[in-house]
Amino acid sequence: MGKKLIIMKNISKSFGDQLVLDNFNLYINENEFITLLGPSGCGKTTCLRILGGFETADEGTVEFNGKIINDLEPNQREINTCFQKYALFPHLNVYDNIAFGLKIKKMSKDAIHERVMNILKMVKLTGFENRMISTLSGGQQQRVAIARALVNRPKVLLLDEPLAALDLKLRQEMQYELKEMQRELGITFVYVTHDQEEALTMSDTIVVMDHGKILQIGTPEDIYNEPSSRFVANFIGESNIIKGVMLEDYSVEFFGETFECVDKGFKKSEAVDVIIRPEDLDFISPSKAKIVGIVDSLIFRGVHYEINVLVEGKELTIHTTKHRKIGDKVGLSVEPNNIHIIPRDNNA
Amino acid sequence: MRRLRPYAIPYLLWMGIFILIPTIILIILGFSNLELYNLGVFDLTLVNFRIFIQDQVINALLNSLIYSVITTVICFIIGYPVAYYLSTLPEKKRKILLAMMIVPLWSNMLLRIIAWEKIFQPTSIINDLFGISIDLLGTPTGVLIGMIAMYLPFMIFPIFSVLEKMDYKLIEAAKDLGASDYQTFIKVTFPLSSGGVVSGVIMTMLPAMTSFVLPARIGLGKINLIGNIIESKFMKEVLGSSGASINQGALISLLLMIFSVISFVLITRVDKEGETLI
Amino acid sequence: MMKKSVKKKSLKFIGLFFTVLSYLLIFTPIVVIFILSVNASTKGYSWEGFTLKWYVELFENDVMNEPIMNTLLVAVSSTVIATVLGTAFAIGINALEKKRRVQMMVINNVPVVNPDIVTGISLMIVFSLLSFTLGYYTVLIAHVFFSIPYVILSVMPRLKKLDPNLYEAGLDLGCSRISGVFKVIIPNISTGILSGALMAFTMSIDDFIITYFTSGAEYMNVSTWLYATLSRGRSFTPAAYAYNIIIFTITIAIILFVNLKRDRKEKTV
Repeated sequence: MGKKLIIMKNISKSFGDQLVLDNFNLYINENEFITLLGPSGCGKTTCLRILGGFETADEGTVEFNGKIINDLEPNQREINTCFQKYALFPHLNVYDNIAFGLKIKKMSKDAIHERVMNILKMVKLTGFENRMISTLSGGQQQRVAIARALVNRPKVLLLDEPLAALDLKLRQEMQYELKEMQRELGITFVYVTHDQEEALTMSDTIVVMDHGKILQIGTPEDIYNEPSSRFVANFIGESNIIKGVMLEDYSVEFFGETFECVDKGFKKSEAVDVIIRPEDLDFISPSKAKIVGIVDSLIFRGVHYEINVLVEGKELTIHTTKHRKIGDKVGLSVEPNNIHIIPRDNNA
Repeated sequence: MRRLRPYAIPYLLWMGIFILIPTIILIILGFSNLELYNLGVFDLTLVNFRIFIQDQVINALLNSLIYSVITTVICFIIGYPVAYYLSTLPEKKRKILLAMMIVPLWSNMLLRIIAWEKIFQPTSIINDLFGISIDLLGTPTGVLIGMIAMYLPFMIFPIFSVLEKMDYKLIEAAKDLGASDYQTFIKVTFPLSSGGVVSGVIMTMLPAMTSFVLPARIGLGKINLIGNIIESKFMKEVLGSSGASINQGALISLLLMIFSVISFVLITRVDKEGETLI
Repeated sequence: MMKKSVKKKSLKFIGLFFTVLSYLLIFTPIVVIFILSVNASTKGYSWEGFTLKWYVELFENDVMNEPIMNTLLVAVSSTVIATVLGTAFAIGINALEKKRRVQMMVINNVPVVNPDIVTGISLMIVFSLLSFTLGYYTVLIAHVFFSIPYVILSVMPRLKKLDPNLYEAGLDLGCSRISGVFKVIIPNISTGILSGALMAFTMSIDDFIITYFTSGAEYMNVSTWLYATLSRGRSFTPAAYAYNIIIFTITIAIILFVNLKRDRKEKTV
C-alpha cells in the first residue's frame, strides 16, 4: 500500500452537547478503498464531512499530503464528494452537471467535452448527456453523481452511503463497478455505509465505528474473522457469543468442556467471551460431541439452513447444508482456529 | 381517492362562469358598440380604438409601464438580499421576522395609502412629532416610495420560500466541485431561485401597474395610471363621470389582460401548482 | 483568509441593511396609523395630545357603523363559504390524475395572478349579465370567488402529503364515501384548512378594489366608504384609524393563538 495521504489526528466534534467524534485518529493510504462502517449516528458521516470541508473539527488536525487543511474551504480541496442523495443540480442537464467542476476551473471547451464524454462512457451513460436529471432513474442519477465527482480527477473521492437508495440487484452491480473504477483510476475512496455486506465486499480496509469512536481497523478478513469486541462481532455478520473461561494459553473452557484454541495472552482463569460464526459449527454424532443440544427451530435460507440448537439453555445458530428435524438431538463440533476469544464485556 | 374526483367538477364550472364568460364579453365589448346594461343588437366596430390616440390614455399607459418597472426593479434589488438574508437565519429568528413582514399586510390597504399621504404632506404629523418634513405629495418620488412600500413583501415572499426550501446539499456540492461562494451563488443558488424571482416580479409588477388608489391619493390625481383610466371608464354610476364608456374601458382592460396572460404563462412555466404564490 | 471574511461580512451587512430598510418601509404606515388613532387632532396634521376618544367614538359613530357591520358580515360569511367549497374542490382536484391536477391548479392560479382590477371588472360583467342588483350578495359572491383559490393553495400541500391509500383504508374499514372524507381526510388536513380560512378572512376584511367594482353605489364596506368619502373631498373621522388598529390587533391575536396551539400540538405529538 502507498504512503499516508490523509492523517486525522485527535479529532473531536460536538453538535450542541452531543459529542459526535471523540478523539478520533485515522490515517488513509494512497489508492486505498477505505470504508467507515457503523450504525446510524456513529459519527461516520461527520468524519466524511470534516474531510470534505463541510464541517470544521472542534479539536485536532486534518493533514492532507503533508499539509494541515483544517481551514481550507471545500472548493480548495483536492477532494470530491458523492453525496448521499446525489445532490445533482436540477436546473442543469447531465452534461452540465458533470462539466460543472471543469467549467469552474475554466478548462477549454474541447478539453471539457473530451473528459465528460470519457467519464460518461465509463459510467455507461453515453447518449444521456442532454437528459434532465429528473428524467433519470435512481441508478442513472447515482452514476451521474459519481461521474460528476470523478471527472475532476480528485486525489480522494468521498462517498456517503451512495448506494442506499438503490434496490438490491442494482446495489450489488454498482458495488462491483465502483470497486472496478477505484482500481482502474487509482483514486483513494473513502466510503461510508451502515451495510456490513457492502463494506466486506468492496473495501481494502474497514473502520468499524460506534459512538464517535473507532472500535476496530483492519482488512475485511481481519474484521470478520477476528472481531475485537462483542459489538464488532455482532455488527459484522452473525455470531454466537458464549461465556467462557480461559484456562491457559491455547485452552478455553465453555459449556463445561475444555476446547483447544489459537488465542493466547489472557490471564489464567480470565472470564472471556467466545465467538463462533454460525458457519463454523458442524453437526457430528452426539456420542462423539463435546457440545450436545436439541434442534429448536429451522429455516430454509436457499444456500443453507439456519438451524437454532438449544445447548444448556443457550441458543446457538448454525448455518449448514445438512438437514435436521426439530427436536432432534445433535452433536456440534468446531475447529480450534474457528474459536475466537475476546475479553469479557460486562456491559453487554 | 379516485371516487373523490367529482368534487373538482363544480369548480371548473364556477371558474368558467367567472373567468371565461367575462373575458368573452370583454372582447365583444371592446370590438363593438354593445351596451352592457342594455344588451341587444350590436355592430362590430373598431371605433373604441380611438382612445389610444388620446393623450390622457397614452400618458397613463406610459406611466403604468414606467412606474411598475421602476417599482419592480427597486423591489427586486432590495427584496432579493432580504429574502436571502432571512433564509440564512436560524429557524426561530427566521419565523419571527417573516411573520413581522406578513403582519402589516393585515392592516387596511386604503388606510396604509392614506398614512403615506399624511406623511408626505408639507406639514404632517411626522413633521410635528419628529421635525422631519417629507414634502413628496404629488411627486413621482412619493408615488414610487408608496408603491415600493406596498408591494415589496410580494417580491420577498416567493423568493424567500424558494430559497428556504432549497436543498443545502446542492450548495455544498457546488463548493465540493471547486466553486467559490460567488460562483456558487451565480451558478447554483440564483438559477435555482429563478422560479421565485419570476413569481416575485409578477406579483409586484401587475399590482403596481394596475393600482389606482395609490397614484390618485399620493399623486394628487396628477399622475394617472392605466387603472385610473379603467376606473373612470367603468364606474359611471359611482363616479358620475361624463367620460365613462364601458366599451372603451373593456378595450383597455383587454390590453391589461394581455400582460396578465404573459405573466401567467411565465408563472406556469416556473411553478405550475402555485406553490410560490402564497 | 482575512480578506475573505471581510468580504463575507460586508455581504452580510448589505443583507442586514436592506432588511432593516424593508421593515422600515413596511412598518412606517402602520406606526402612523397608530399615532393618528391616539391623536386628539381631527385633521391629523399635528400632534395635539394623547387620547382614546376615537376608540370610544368608533362604537357611537352612526356613519361608520354600517360599513363596519357590512365588512364583518361579508368577511365571516365569505370565509365560511370559501373554506367549505375550497376544501371540497381541493380534495377533488387532489384525487385527479397528475396531468389533470396540474391543469386545475393552473386554472386555480388565474384569479391569484390576475390584477384585482381585472377580477373586479370580470365579476361586475357577470353580475350585470345575470341582472343581479349590486349589493351585499354580489360582494359576498365576489369575496368567495377570490378567496377559494387561496384556500385551495393552502390545503393542497397537506393533501399531497397524505398517503393515497388512507381514504381507501377508511372505506375498507366501513366508512361511507362521505364519512370517509370527514373521518379520514379532513382531520389530516385541518391545519391547511385553518390557514386557508385565516387567509380568506384577512383578505376579505381588507379588500377594496374588488368590492369597489361589485358593490354598486349604495352598499359600502369600510374601504369603499373611506374611498368615497375622500373622493368627495371630505375627511373622515380618526375613528377609522382606531377601527383599523382594533381589527389589526384582533387578527394578530387570532393568528398567534392558532400558531401557538398548533406548535404545542406538534410538540406533544
